[in-house]
Amino acid sequence: MRNWSRRGIITFAAAVLALTAADTRAQEPIRIGVLLPLTGPFTKNGTEHWEAMQIARDMINERGGVNGRKVELLVADVPSPAAAISDTERLISTQKIKITTGSGLSPLAIAVSQASERAGVFHWETTGAAEIITRRGFKYTFQVGGASRLYAQAAVNFTLEDLAKRLGKSPTDLRIALLWENRAFGKSVGDGVRDYVKTKNIKLIYDEGYDQFATDMTPIVQKLKDVKPDVLIAISFPNDAILFQRKAKELDFYVGALVGVSAGYSNPDLENSIGSVVYGIFDSDFLPKVNPKVLKPEVAQAFDEYNRRYEAKMKRPPAGHASVSFSALWALFNEVFPKAKTFEPDELRQIALSLDLPEGSLANGSGIKFTNNDWAPDLKDAGQNLRAAIGVWQWQKVNGRTEHNPVFPKSLATNEPTLVPLPAWDKR
Amino acid sequence: MLTTTGQLIVSGVLIGSIYALMSVGLTLIFGVLRIVNFAHGEFLMMAMYGAWLGTRYLGLNAYTAAIAVVPAMFLFGTIVHRLIISPSLDKPHLVVVFATMGLSILMQNVALMIMSADLWDVPPMLGGRSFTFGPFYAKPELLIGFAVSLMVTFILRWIIKTTYLGKAIRATVQDGEAAMLMGIPVPRIFLITFASGSALVGLAACTMMPLFSVFPTVGLNFVLIAFVIVVLGGMGSIEGALLGGICIGIAQSLSSYFIAPAYGQMFFFSLFLLVLIFRPSGLLGQKGTANLGINP
Repeated sequence: MRNWSRRGIITFAAAVLALTAADTRAQEPIRIGVLLPLTGPFTKNGTEHWEAMQIARDMINERGGVNGRKVELLVADVPSPAAAISDTERLISTQKIKITTGSGLSPLAIAVSQASERAGVFHWETTGAAEIITRRGFKYTFQVGGASRLYAQAAVNFTLEDLAKRLGKSPTDLRIALLWENRAFGKSVGDGVRDYVKTKNIKLIYDEGYDQFATDMTPIVQKLKDVKPDVLIAISFPNDAILFQRKAKELDFYVGALVGVSAGYSNPDLENSIGSVVYGIFDSDFLPKVNPKVLKPEVAQAFDEYNRRYEAKMKRPPAGHASVSFSALWALFNEVFPKAKTFEPDELRQIALSLDLPEGSLANGSGIKFTNNDWAPDLKDAGQNLRAAIGVWQWQKVNGRTEHNPVFPKSLATNEPTLVPLPAWDKR
Repeated sequence: MLTTTGQLIVSGVLIGSIYALMSVGLTLIFGVLRIVNFAHGEFLMMAMYGAWLGTRYLGLNAYTAAIAVVPAMFLFGTIVHRLIISPSLDKPHLVVVFATMGLSILMQNVALMIMSADLWDVPPMLGGRSFTFGPFYAKPELLIGFAVSLMVTFILRWIIKTTYLGKAIRATVQDGEAAMLMGIPVPRIFLITFASGSALVGLAACTMMPLFSVFPTVGLNFVLIAFVIVVLGGMGSIEGALLGGICIGIAQSLSSYFIAPAYGQMFFFSLFLLVLIFRPSGLLGQKGTANLGINP
């Protein structure tokens, strides 16, 4: 009898506990671990992502949260891949985080997603672009911002579909040169360009990797002078992009159009370093803004609000990488979370895989359709967003102000390309 | 083809002379004093920031900024020697290696905190265009660098070979104890040599600022080249550093063009190994200089 009553009490207590837990759970915030480099060499990038993510959080919470639950972001600073692994593990074990996001750039994304996957945590990657991120057979990693192959394809498509015409040549006669820095990102995009032009039956007239710590660009510029390309596709980092541009001017190397890819050619410092010759350079990258007509009205309105808040706080318009972080989180809050009940990684994964959003559904013009282990190009591939919008924007001078204006694809563009072919050095 | 090769050699010589200028300070510190200063690249970085600040806030150009940067770097060298180098000199060799490595990391991070990870430049002369000599191009900044490099080499060589200070430095290096018995203030000679090495890095930085962007880790791009040049030229040989720098400039330029730019570094290290195998004392080094260090 005594046993009975004790068991009864315990059952009753458990039931009460469960009920109150369920009740408080309804108001409990949805907690997300944010892994970004806020100190170290990538600080600048990291703080811009963090600003964009905080704006997304504030905006959703001011709108009453997700089904009444507020969103809470727990941020950890991850300056290096080693720190990325240990801090992701720390957030998961001490804060019981089930959802992570980040990570600013590929090497960090590779590390964070690995730690999250090991713990069975849902990882929503906003920016990391290396193909390897989603080529390791992971279950819970989703690369929303677009894989490096897409950067390569945007650069090539723009060159063949738009630049060829403006340079007065047929795409097959166009002399295209490819220059890539030989580390993870440059090599990955370089491989993408090479593979993709092959499918178009086009042969590159020059294809070479170089060390991004090179201190003298003379040999590279000299080789390019020899092959006389019409278009140069260059994947560079900030310092080597600047050295290259200066050497090109010094040795009077002329090319009709230059299509840079992200990093070095999207870096705002480029303008400070090389001055007005920056105008006319193209950059294949996340688009900092898109033609608002392609966006769903509620998304266009949210993006507008984000842009205003960002500019008010940071005193300049957001760069493409910041906007991609906002877009990805806004999609997480508005397309994934409202369908979730338990917020367990398995449930979130199912929801993510079921998403089929057309282009223009995300603030930066992207749609969402994730690969799922069962189709080409790679069966190990899961969680890669096939509809990420990577376009081409151009450094333009409009009314005396420098603008980064999207010019390709046409559906997302706000402006026409200008300065094609590029004027001679002394006229730029 | 001939024109191209000519241009590559011209560019190689010019950039090589800049490498040499940057290594001359290290020749004093590492080549003469045998102090392995791993923070040499960060000294360069700091001095480049100094030159940049001079152009940005004092209305100087990078070259006139040397008036402020060189003495400032001399002072900085004195402080580093007093606080870090001097106390570790009588300890095992590795202590100074780790101490300067720590200093290097500290300096990088302080720069990151104060200056952020942004890249900074000074505006180029002639709007970034170059002089043409027949078919060859050369930027005025590179020509100035070449001239400064030659000048520094000759003046420094003259000081080391003929002045009392130079003789004292050489005596200190060859036999510290005997030098002290002859009345040479050995600790002070060390201090002056180290600080002069730092000051020369300051001069190199002012010459390099119009050519390269400055950022917290810029030193890493150059420090390895500097060590290679000092050893290649012959430890402690001033004109050896000039020759070593130019050799590396040309080797890098030609191999990057004729073989592949990704392997430019590989080639100059191969050249370095070959020289070490067949001429261990370096190009212009005295035989046996490798054993002449102060520390056993």
